[in-house]
Amino acid sequence: MTGRERGAAAVLLVVGVIALEEASRLRFGSLARPGPGFFPVVLAAAFSLVCAALLVGPVRTRDADAPPLPRLGWPKVVATMAALFIYALVLEPVGFVAATFVLLLFFFRALERQRWLVALGSSLATALLTYLVFRVWLNVQLPAGLWGG
Amino acid sequence: MDLVHGLTYGLSVSLQPSNLVACFIGVFVGTLIGVLPGIGPVATMSLLLPVTFAMSPTASIIMMAGIYYGAMYGGSTTSILVNIPGEAASVVTCIDGYQMARQGRAGPALGISALGSFIAGTFSVLGIMLLAPPLTSVALRFGPPEIFGLLLLGFTMVTYLTAGSKLKAVAMALLGMLLGTVGLDPISASPRFTYGSVTLGDGLGLVPIIMGLFGISEVLLNIGQGVKQEVFDTRIKGLMPTREDWRRSAGPIARGSVLGFLLGILPGIGAIIPTFISYALEKRIARQPERFGRGAIEGVAGPEAANNAATGGSMIPLLTLGLAPNVVMAVLLGAFLIHGVQPGPLLIKEHPEIFWGVITSMYVGNVMLLVLNLPLIGLWVQLLRVPYGILFPLILLFCVIGVYSESANVWDIVVMLAFGVVGLLMKRFGFEAAPLVLAFVLGRMAEESIRQSLLMSSGRFSILLTRPIATVFVVAALSVVALPVLLPPVRRMLRTVPPDDTA
Repeated sequence: MTGRERGAAAVLLVVGVIALEEASRLRFGSLARPGPGFFPVVLAAAFSLVCAALLVGPVRTRDADAPPLPRLGWPKVVATMAALFIYALVLEPVGFVAATFVLLLFFFRALERQRWLVALGSSLATALLTYLVFRVWLNVQLPAGLWGG
Repeated sequence: MDLVHGLTYGLSVSLQPSNLVACFIGVFVGTLIGVLPGIGPVATMSLLLPVTFAMSPTASIIMMAGIYYGAMYGGSTTSILVNIPGEAASVVTCIDGYQMARQGRAGPALGISALGSFIAGTFSVLGIMLLAPPLTSVALRFGPPEIFGLLLLGFTMVTYLTAGSKLKAVAMALLGMLLGTVGLDPISASPRFTYGSVTLGDGLGLVPIIMGLFGISEVLLNIGQGVKQEVFDTRIKGLMPTREDWRRSAGPIARGSVLGFLLGILPGIGAIIPTFISYALEKRIARQPERFGRGAIEGVAGPEAANNAATGGSMIPLLTLGLAPNVVMAVLLGAFLIHGVQPGPLLIKEHPEIFWGVITSMYVGNVMLLVLNLPLIGLWVQLLRVPYGILFPLILLFCVIGVYSESANVWDIVVMLAFGVVGLLMKRFGFEAAPLVLAFVLGRMAEESIRQSLLMSSGRFSILLTRPIATVFVVAALSVVALPVLLPPVRRMLRTVPPDDTA
């Protein structure tokens, strides 16, 4: 376990203890007649124990010569996730085509630095095409709204 | 229904035009996403689940299965030409496949992996036909203790066969089962972990979790780390392996087929682990093991045969027991349930058209794949030149559409995105997603079977050891735990298994 991994184990342990606390409020029943709380309590307890073991486990020396993790470009990852979360929130009020167009424009122009014309064109084409293929042709449910319908 | 009758009946189903089309779409899409790195069969099958609403159950399952084994073909192309696995089960193929490409032998490498896959695929279809019907009659005798024993075996396998920390895998399996308990208790229907929310009362969805952990997180990782895209730029000529190539490959293909098929049947194995075992085996018995890693065709033929045979083998627990041995089969199980069909021991009697139709379609699909992957190889190579900057927004969009269209609920998109972030962190901190998802799927079944077992025995766990079939499973599970400790060589071999079994 490296320091970083210990941190992760600590977070998971907190999750486990909270789950155990919540599960213990459910009716446990008895071994002969197990209730709804039986399985969650056993699971949460076992999970917490394993996380605790991970937390106090020995430091592996092997980690020293393991190749370091490749650097992660966090700004781009965070920007992508933020865009997707906002997209999820506005999808139903705004409608599929309009929301998708803006999302793709953001990806193509802001993140990938395509030329404006290319970014606009491909975003619009993709939004319309996916709508036609999924909604009109495959009859899949997509959010209605201003442009959806 | 005897075998010949079953076979002819099955072909009469799978050769119907609509089923042929479904099969073709399945293997085509499978090859496509197999070639593309960063999107695998699990995410794709989940994505296309809603599309199957309008199809017949038989056509849906045929298409879904086609995606899975189609991806096994496509994945090797990227491994050989780009040296990154197009699909997780083709990791090993990179080692010798890419070396062959560098030596100007990309053609035979692609050729042997397609032909080897075809031979193995055919073998595993025959295996299913021979093994599934008798296993069905055994499966009919399964009660809750037997089911729990089998699940226990599955959980120990999936956690003990990982390369990373076993303890972490156990933690992920427990977490997966815990996530599975969100919602209504299956027996008493009282709410658990729902905090009064109606949406949470239905539990967390499998598709959003899978798409988050396997789809979104993969894209995020690729965005963050950057993808290297260098397609090996030589003309691919002479796809047919030479006589010498065949002589070297015959043994590895035969061994890979048997090994992959048998391992694939076992719960928790998936298609990736057999490729590593096949590679290790071929290297060990080779007369010149030093050729491995320098473009040995055996190192392509064996693993490629193994992963294809494993896809067939893993259909067996699903068709005979209704039990998903790996994550892909969990999605396939979902496809069955969407159409109100319960796979299991009664499937062959109640829905022979699905049982025999799907099995024979896999044979038809393997023939299609041979055509798709040999003469049309140039098409897939072009696909590898699409820049990731164009690809990733599309993959993300398809994930969103897939999740939304399944439930028409924005909540599921949020769940998917949340699990995307969780999945990215898990990858960074060395936790694996496969045990979590498998446990999430099987957790409900595990809970029901253990609670019913305890009711049957008035609270005595010894019921798991007093019934012969259940005892076999429990003992097998215990030996999986004990063996690596007892046998250091086994332990060494298992250590070569890769960290992420996305099955």
